[in-house]
Amino acid sequence: MDLSVQQFRSEAEQALLDLYERSVDALPGDASVAALRQSAIWTYAGLGLPHRRVEAWKYTDLRAAIAEIPPLLAESDAPVEDTAFEAALGKAFAQLPAYRVVLVAGAVRTELSDVQGLRDAGVEFGALAQMLESPPEWLMASLDTASACGDDVLIALNTALMTGGVALRLPEGVTLQKPIHLIHLDGADAPGSVYTRNVLVTEDGASATVLESFGTLGRAGVQRNAVTTVSLGAKSAIHHIKLQREALETIHLNAWVANVGADARYNAFQVSMGAALARNQVSVRFVGKDAATDISGATLARGKQHCDTTLVVEHDVPACESRELFKLVLDDEARGVFQGKIVVARDAQKTDGKQMSQALLLSETAEFDSKPELEIYADDVVCGHGATSGQIDEDLLFYLRARGLPEAQARALLIQAFVGETFEALDDEAIGDAFAAVSADWLGAPAE
Amino acid sequence: MLEIKNLHAKVDGREILNGLDLTIPAGEVHAIMGPNGSGKSTLSYVLAGKDDYEVTDGSVTWKGEDLLAMEPDERAAAGVFLAFQYPMEIPGVATMTFLRSAVNAVRKARGEEEYSTPDFLRTVKEKAKDLKIDMEMLRRPLNVGFSGGEKKRNEILQMSLLEPGLCILDETDSGLDIDALRIVSDGVNALRSPERCMLVITHYQRLLNHIVPDRVHVLSKGRVARSGGPELALELEKSGYADYGDEATAA
Ligand SMILES: Nc1ncnc2c1ncn2[C@@H]1O[C@H](COP(=O)(O)OP(=O)(O)O)[C@@H](O)[C@H]1O
Ligand SMILES: [Mg+2]
Repeated sequence: MDLSVQQFRSEAEQALLDLYERSVDALPGDASVAALRQSAIWTYAGLGLPHRRVEAWKYTDLRAAIAEIPPLLAESDAPVEDTAFEAALGKAFAQLPAYRVVLVAGAVRTELSDVQGLRDAGVEFGALAQMLESPPEWLMASLDTASACGDDVLIALNTALMTGGVALRLPEGVTLQKPIHLIHLDGADAPGSVYTRNVLVTEDGASATVLESFGTLGRAGVQRNAVTTVSLGAKSAIHHIKLQREALETIHLNAWVANVGADARYNAFQVSMGAALARNQVSVRFVGKDAATDISGATLARGKQHCDTTLVVEHDVPACESRELFKLVLDDEARGVFQGKIVVARDAQKTDGKQMSQALLLSETAEFDSKPELEIYADDVVCGHGATSGQIDEDLLFYLRARGLPEAQARALLIQAFVGETFEALDDEAIGDAFAAVSADWLGAPAE
Repeated sequence: MLEIKNLHAKVDGREILNGLDLTIPAGEVHAIMGPNGSGKSTLSYVLAGKDDYEVTDGSVTWKGEDLLAMEPDERAAAGVFLAFQYPMEIPGVATMTFLRSAVNAVRKARGEEEYSTPDFLRTVKEKAKDLKIDMEMLRRPLNVGFSGGEKKRNEILQMSLLEPGLCILDETDSGLDIDALRIVSDGVNALRSPERCMLVITHYQRLLNHIVPDRVHVLSKGRVARSGGPELALELEKSGYADYGDEATAA
């Protein structure tokens, strides 16, 4: 195969092509899936890894950040102890009541998962690797959703190399009483790459909370590329929630791509606190009227961590509402990036879109880059954006200290309060409390 | 109990307190009155330990210890409590969480045992009831959306929970209607005891009808210009602060 479209390739860029060549015969899927992979690797070959001259990656130079491409992480059936769970996710998340699905190297570990419970609740569930061998129509349609993200290299690489993940479909009218908790736990003694694809489909009127958490097992760093596509039927609802708490050696690349039908609600919420470099993309496209999305979350970063959150909301149809609120706590030399693009098509009258990002800088050397982009082609719309960045309010700090709180505790309380405002977007109190607990862990403060 | 000698303090490079002397014996309530801008709030902040208030001369001794050498939280643990003229709003911190953190921090620093959850709740409930504070209000973020009166009552609730030895009240009466004034005053009076002293800062005399002071001091240009008994407050009510460098007379 001649993959020579791109003129110059870094070693890592070439190594990714080699990885594909080496692995392609063993990758799961029938001929239609193989064709998707082939076309995706061509997309990648033409573009290479994104770098700072690519507008959507202006502040996150992936080409510069990735020096080596480790081999695909092998599936493992090594036992995962409860203590390892707690260490990886934090106690609150490890113990959260949910339909649990544990993925190691993308493979479903059935002995650690409650797949039967999910099926009893009416969910169609399958391990992606198996389903790709004879993909049902709805799965192919969802894979195409990702292929439609044309020049998104992160997603193209995922399509080319995906080895695991899960596919979940909620039939018409099914409502789950407990969240589905997809737990991605990876790591070994040597570095490895993990490519997972999750597919969520809610038919008309169905609703669920889907929590994805990412943690590290073992010692060595993982290069993770995880994509989830979400298709929401009319009047359906998904609360899609993420905790990223991976080890500091990790490179975490994640994209959620949602198509939202009429009168549906897609809420995405993400908290990132791990990984050396994290890129979190959420793209939402409204395909039916009167739908709504709320995309919010928080970044907690210190040391030399780099965390990029990039949102795209496409209002293709009238009368949809989008809300975005992200808060970043940046210490030491950490760098936080927030990019938010709202596109309102000519027909999308009565669009209501708001976006806000706020950074709390705990050191002089922390950096926050914010880039809002509004592309509005309709005339009857309400759209707004804002970004702020500031330090801890000394007057508030004094008030707390005057009430007896030692300085460190007072600071931690104020940081938690800052971040905690985003947790209000969560309907589920147990999940909100779990986020409060892991963020308190991060701050080194006692949980309240 | 509290001994302030020749206190000089600067804010933003400007001298605000200018040789202030004041002694409050245990069990006594002293009022500080004075025109706007005379340095009343500055004095309260200096006593509580706010950063941007720089003491350039003088001393403050509390129970024989050098108060000025302590951090704000150490002062709180040592029993100093300031009811703020403008209590801070902190979105994202539930009032109850805040109360509990504060009380336990102070108890811990004093070598006392932390409250158990039921004990703490019972104590708060009792005290909140006396101050006519709704428990629902305590579940809301600290002071956010509270009315002026609610904020002031919340300050008094904190005061009674933290069991201070020195209560400093900075214009606690401002913004209160007559009912709220009575509730707050009753709360303060309930805390009067032979082991406590109080410094009640006010611009108006009416608060002192409810909280009757042992002594009244008039602050002017950063020092005590005059001291007397409770009758001094009544006199000021009539004459205003014109004699103390304030053109606009009060009351
Ligand atoms: N943080 C500050 N920065 C600058 N000036 C201040 C500050 N706080 C107080 N001042 C000044 O100090 C003087 C005394 O203020 P203050 O102590 O608030 O008076 P009072 O409480 O008696 O009305 C005023 O002239 C005020 O403008
Ligand atoms: Mg004042």
